[in-house]
Amino acid sequence: MQWLDTGKIGIFVTLLMVAFILFNIARARKGKKELFIRRIPGLNAIDDAIGRATEMGRPIFMVPGIGTLNAISVQAVNIFAQVTKTASQFATPIRMCIADAAVYTVAQEVIRDVYQRQGMLERFDVDSVRFISDRQFAFAAGVSGLLHREKAAATFLLGEFYAESLIFAETANSIGAIQVAGSTQTSQTPFFVAACDYVLLGDEFYAASAYLTREPVLVGSLVGQDWCKIMITAAVFLGALFHGVERSQVAAFEWAPYAEANEAAFSALSDDAKEKVADVQVQVPSSAERQGIQALKKGNETMLYRIFNPNPSAEDLVIEREKKPPPPAAEGEEGGE
Amino acid sequence: MILAQLDPRLNFFGKAPYSLELWGYVTAVVVLGIALIVAMTKLPTRARKPLIWTSTFLAGGFYVLYWLWPQPVGRGPLDLPRNSVEAMSFWMSDAQVKVADVANILTAFLLCLGIYSLLRVHTNRILRKHEDRFFSWVLIASMFGMLVLGYIDWRQRTFLDKDGKLLEMANWGFAQFGKDLLFDGLFQQMDAAMFSMIAFFILSAAYRAFRIRSVEATVLMISALILIISIMGAVVYGWNNMITSMLPVDSAPVLNNFKISEIANWVRSTLQTPAIRAVEFGVGLGALAMGLRLWLGLEKGGVTV
Repeated sequence: MQWLDTGKIGIFVTLLMVAFILFNIARARKGKKELFIRRIPGLNAIDDAIGRATEMGRPIFMVPGIGTLNAISVQAVNIFAQVTKTASQFATPIRMCIADAAVYTVAQEVIRDVYQRQGMLERFDVDSVRFISDRQFAFAAGVSGLLHREKAAATFLLGEFYAESLIFAETANSIGAIQVAGSTQTSQTPFFVAACDYVLLGDEFYAASAYLTREPVLVGSLVGQDWCKIMITAAVFLGALFHGVERSQVAAFEWAPYAEANEAAFSALSDDAKEKVADVQVQVPSSAERQGIQALKKGNETMLYRIFNPNPSAEDLVIEREKKPPPPAAEGEEGGE
Repeated sequence: MILAQLDPRLNFFGKAPYSLELWGYVTAVVVLGIALIVAMTKLPTRARKPLIWTSTFLAGGFYVLYWLWPQPVGRGPLDLPRNSVEAMSFWMSDAQVKVADVANILTAFLLCLGIYSLLRVHTNRILRKHEDRFFSWVLIASMFGMLVLGYIDWRQRTFLDKDGKLLEMANWGFAQFGKDLLFDGLFQQMDAAMFSMIAFFILSAAYRAFRIRSVEATVLMISALILIISIMGAVVYGWNNMITSMLPVDSAPVLNNFKISEIANWVRSTLQTPAIRAVEFGVGLGALAMGLRLWLGLEKGGVTV
């Protein structure tokens, strides 16, 4: 039996999180109190990396991963816009290698706008933002080749990376580039931790633009996310507590069908087999004894489990509706022969 | 969306497949699309902003409504909605396919811009007699070779090979062999070669990561060692049997917890999984906040300049 429409719980929780974020954005916009962001070493290293590239006169490489145009690649491009802003002031060359045509178009516009806003449009090189290939390993080969040929001084690998992450990180490491990396893919983060100098972990990636710009809207949104995390942590803690308490309660359990099936299977064994089984098995209580035994609740017998695991019957999924008339058959279909 | 849901005989998609009329429509739409993109690039940034925001808000609003509105349950192809809520949900689930199509068509146009970027970079290299211009020649030749052979092969298989003769290699022509050589013979092999290089990169990265320099590195090394050992069949067999032989016959088998497979499972389920879930919660919240800011046009700078 399903006790609640769980689809509505998800919507309610999401809307609550949206409300937290919007409320904090509004709060930050009023600007009465400066909101605090903790120090993130990976983001502090951005200026050092740009400075190093400027001193060495070598380019800065930026790769927003191989994902399509989504929140992750947009955030990566936002961070790269900040990197480019600083780089443009020192005329440090940049290279942005992109695997998706839509991201390429957006990134090129953003980078051009950054140079324009800085009043240095003449420093913008159209070929600094490049579409390499939308095939994963062709892209990896292209970027690695560019890294080697142009001897990058700093690389920023931020976005959606998969198996190619280590190819980039190790290639950049082999040419001595300082590396700041971050991926939303938890499976790739360990590779970056192993191979890169600074790594943005999990949602630090999304905190980057707030951290770098201190824009009230972004900082407020970050605080809103923290409120959401507190809510989720409380839900996990309370859920574990309630579930644990329920699991310690005794459930009314019907042993009889289990016992009968077990006895039938046991009686079908040969005498030798019966002896062997009896030696190694824990002594099973007899049917009469089993009737009186009560067991603790199983994981799938608790209230919380039932709330979040609906079990709709076939009747719930079949709805009788009026039918519209079928479309007329195309010419030539009728008559057959 | 509304037009696309009209009677198929009245809309663009109702034209006879491969007919001249349909090709005419397709050509006209492609020309219009290119003209629209060119016009957009000519617009000043200030004029582009409200246009981008409006289209983002409308597209985002559609998907928010699609997600919030109750979905139709058990809908058949000829079912009529029972009430206004169902009518709306039917309309939205039909329209969602068309909205996704618009996104796909836009992506196709943008791919042309990507190819243009690639061609510009490599043509410039050739014209400026760059020392690596040989590779630019290879890239351009491969791109056009694949394009031409792929098109001929597709055309022959789709229109000319009604009996499916081209499924047999014996009936292949130049286009099929050429495409096979370029795609399966070269591209796939090079793809696999790049992928296999990761094994060596993992080795060198692991060596650096496991050099014990700090408490964190030590913890990383120990947990990695446990997990590595737990998938080595011979070691697992020996270790687990040793534990089993140490178990007293008639007592609670606490020692079972020290089997290598049990320790590895504990590391995975008690340490690794909660940590990954915590990170994923953070990433999900970040994406939600980012999407909200983009949808409502709250962000300044970067993509929403």
